[in-house]
Amino acid sequence: MHIKHHPVLGKRLSETVTFYFQDQPYTAYRGQTVAAALMANGIKKLGLSRKLLQPRGLFCARGRCCSCYMTVNGEDHVRTCLIKVEEGMKVYPNLEDPEVTNDGHGD
Amino acid sequence: MAMETDVLIIGAGPAGLAAAFELASRGLEVTLVDESAAAGGQLVQQTQLIRSLPAPFQPMRGFALAEALTKRLAALPVRYLLGHRMIGLYRDGSVGVADEANVFPLKARKIVVATGAAENAVPFPKWTLPGIITIGAAQTLINRDFVRPGKHAVIVGSSDFAVDVALQLADVGVNIKAVVERQSALLARDAEKVAQLKQSGIPTYVNAAVKEARGKGEVAEIDIQLSERVITEHVDLVCLDGGRSPVLEACYQLGCSFGYQQELGGWLPQYNKRLQTDREDVFLAGNAAGISTQGVVLATGMIAGVSVCEALRVIGGEEAERLRSALWKELEVLETTLFPEVWQARLRHMDNFGNPLLKEQFIS
Ligand code: FES
Repeated sequence: MHIKHHPVLGKRLSETVTFYFQDQPYTAYRGQTVAAALMANGIKKLGLSRKLLQPRGLFCARGRCCSCYMTVNGEDHVRTCLIKVEEGMKVYPNLEDPEVTNDGHGD
Repeated sequence: MAMETDVLIIGAGPAGLAAAFELASRGLEVTLVDESAAAGGQLVQQTQLIRSLPAPFQPMRGFALAEALTKRLAALPVRYLLGHRMIGLYRDGSVGVADEANVFPLKARKIVVATGAAENAVPFPKWTLPGIITIGAAQTLINRDFVRPGKHAVIVGSSDFAVDVALQLADVGVNIKAVVERQSALLARDAEKVAQLKQSGIPTYVNAAVKEARGKGEVAEIDIQLSERVITEHVDLVCLDGGRSPVLEACYQLGCSFGYQQELGGWLPQYNKRLQTDREDVFLAGNAAGISTQGVVLATGMIAGVSVCEALRVIGGEEAERLRSALWKELEVLETTLFPEVWQARLRHMDNFGNPLLKEQFIS
């Protein structure tokens, strides 16, 4: 659930954005991260673990645990607790090992 | 062409920002690298009042302190690389910085590592279920993202931080069903906050631990082992307060030596009174130099800043020594007030400077 009136910080959410999770539209507010916006919409399961395929969701909310990896606008393995939700964003759960892109820049 | 800077500060939290002020206000050009979209580190979502701060700071709420720290840098030679992180070192010593899409070298005369701390998990069966998050994550969701992460919660752990966040969660309408503490008493040292917690009617269980969590796809129930019985709470949120450990990858990559101090969060880079590591151009600040309170974190940032100014000959040795010893005195007062054992561990750690447990372990 979105916190419209925060007891200390007041009203901070104003501009809504529509984003898509598994092709379904959801409403979020500008400034929220993708993982937080999903949680506000009651979606906690963001993907499956790589080996045992167990459900995974946001854990640390600060980019450390990598438990919130998702596919965002076609890019795999995005830490959704660090990036902000944007209008029209397309988000999918990470259900298996993402392919590692290799465009020849690595050693 | 490599980006160049006098001082690279890795981490734009309170320690990094405090160091940046010491450096930039004396004319040095500073570059701050941070993964987050905003400067201020964990302060950004802290609505609790932070009381003991070094001079010249007054008690204020965390987010206001973050604003104050960034505001005084506004007119100074400070470059922010937000949404960026250090990912390695080039052969010539330049730091590799990535913005997720591109990597580029950044050449600095000195480096301050102010990477902060990460929260530890509290393992029990099924602790990885969605809906089970760190206490810091809960605070981030309510105060940074303005999202209520659940309706019915159990808090596992009872540090000052956990009690603060439990009260903040209750304030935004989360029903806190219990605070569970493994030890025989609550760990929070702020008596006022503990009284507030008790007044709010939130049950607190000591000598208690989580037996297991259950749920299909997300947490739905949690079993709590009390001394004589097990109780089951129906929850959609569990917040884990497992303490914090210094974030050290940057120090591994830079080749610093390491020691171990339980009270400071475990493994941490060796440093001396200058907060200088045995890699002479690398300095430390904040929780990366040992887990402590916000006031101490700021003081270490100031000490590291002064030491780098001395190393770059912006201030003389005598002046640096005078500033540093005043800051260390202040740090001692701040740290011994609440956590005397942490201060003792810090002194032991500095005594071990020439005697690291791990040296050049991480260089491949
Ligand atoms: S929740 Fe831990 S990295 Fe995103």
